[in-house]
Amino acid sequence: MTKASRIDRIWGAITARADALGVPVSLGVLCETAADRLPITGVAVAIRGGFVGSELICVTDPLSRRLEELQLTIGEGPTLEVLAGSGAILVEDLDAPDYQTRWPLFAPQALDTGGRAVHVLPLRIGAIRGGALALYTDRPARLPGEILAEAWVFSELALELLFDEQAGIGAQHGSRPSYWRFETPAEVHQATGMISVQLGISVGDAFTRLRARAFADDRLLSELATDVVARRIRFDHEDTG
Amino acid sequence: MNDERLAHTFVELADTLVDEFDLVEFLHILVDRCVELLDVSAAGLMLADSHGRLQVMASSTESIRLLELFQLQNDDGPCLDCYRTGKPVAHPDLTHAHDRWRQFAPAATRAGFRTVHALPMRLRAHIIGAFNLFHTNPHQLDRSVTQIGQAMADIATIGLIQERSLRHHETLVDQLQTALNSRILVEQAKGVLAERRDINPNQAFTLLRDYARNHHHRLTELAAAVVDGSTTATELLSTTTPPPPE
Repeated sequence: MTKASRIDRIWGAITARADALGVPVSLGVLCETAADRLPITGVAVAIRGGFVGSELICVTDPLSRRLEELQLTIGEGPTLEVLAGSGAILVEDLDAPDYQTRWPLFAPQALDTGGRAVHVLPLRIGAIRGGALALYTDRPARLPGEILAEAWVFSELALELLFDEQAGIGAQHGSRPSYWRFETPAEVHQATGMISVQLGISVGDAFTRLRARAFADDRLLSELATDVVARRIRFDHEDTG
Repeated sequence: MNDERLAHTFVELADTLVDEFDLVEFLHILVDRCVELLDVSAAGLMLADSHGRLQVMASSTESIRLLELFQLQNDDGPCLDCYRTGKPVAHPDLTHAHDRWRQFAPAATRAGFRTVHALPMRLRAHIIGAFNLFHTNPHQLDRSVTQIGQAMADIATIGLIQERSLRHHETLVDQLQTALNSRILVEQAKGVLAERRDINPNQAFTLLRDYARNHHHRLTELAAAVVDGSTTATELLSTTTPPPPE
């Protein structure tokens, strides 16, 4: 199978699962699909927020829930590090001395809880930190490149579903989310930066505003972004975007 | 081809590949030197993401027209052919390539380019991207020139794996995702700077890059500071620094 069709396969698996359950595509369905397809025990998605900087918004199983809650309780662990700005953290075995040293509280307690391997991928677009996708396993596990590539695709789809929810755009059943990072030209990211200055808001909020407006005006994101970069369109405070 | 200049460039690139080097900046130096050394009109470097889609990582000019020309190649074009086959692709006259690349060839011609070369970026069995050279005149590049181009593509690949392979257990796919995200961060910073300084994104990039060099900042760290509005970028964001020429 070609690489280019990887995303279609995964999106197909997510929509097929939603169809079988008779529910719309959601982050929950995405996480369950990932837990099914990947050689892991469970999946969690956390976003930035709350007192310790993490808010669990989706979890597939008791092990993943315990390991996420453990991190929240002790304020240490890979999901929190990714949410704070780290790149991907791939831990094949929490029992290794390196990790016991790195997380003196989290690592031993995670082992007691039954967790052995954890792979956390950032949900990120440039400076926008959307959250983290955590994959937990109850035995040591080194995910091979092909599996990690699938995990990255799940992470990007998760980010898009998150953004759709934030922009008030319901994922249309059976159709792909409205924004695809890998099909996005440079202008979209430039326009995001410009709008953040125009409105005095974060780039994350600026990106949400840009997408919401494209959706409301029924325009392509790239076209609207081109108008912003060419200074034909400005976002101002009165604009409800 | 000036041998001394060539040797100087390889030394410069090797010097850049030290600890804490910035990948985005390194790849920009590389494409700039390609334009000078190989006497081509424009050069760009594309990497494949986890979907197998090609993304622009560095370009010798940041003009939107050129960037579009790279991106367009996800439908058809020499970079896509090169990425799929792992072999160099060349066309000496794009005005006669409209049948081969229905979208790319007319767009490249409209942008003023006549000749195109694409060279594979290969890491062992994996093709991770492609290096793209454009020329405004119809001509075939010398074999010696494409060999140097291929050497540059190989150095780019080394830079890419060097940056992070010694840390943690990251795999190639993670490194590529991280590299591509750095590029998006730079685009966001260009937007912030363009709006704050009332300049276009192309000028914003020049400003960003020059400032990073003159003040010994890593390009992506400076870009992050610009987006976050942190103190590192205060001077850059203020309107007293002269803007670059159009």
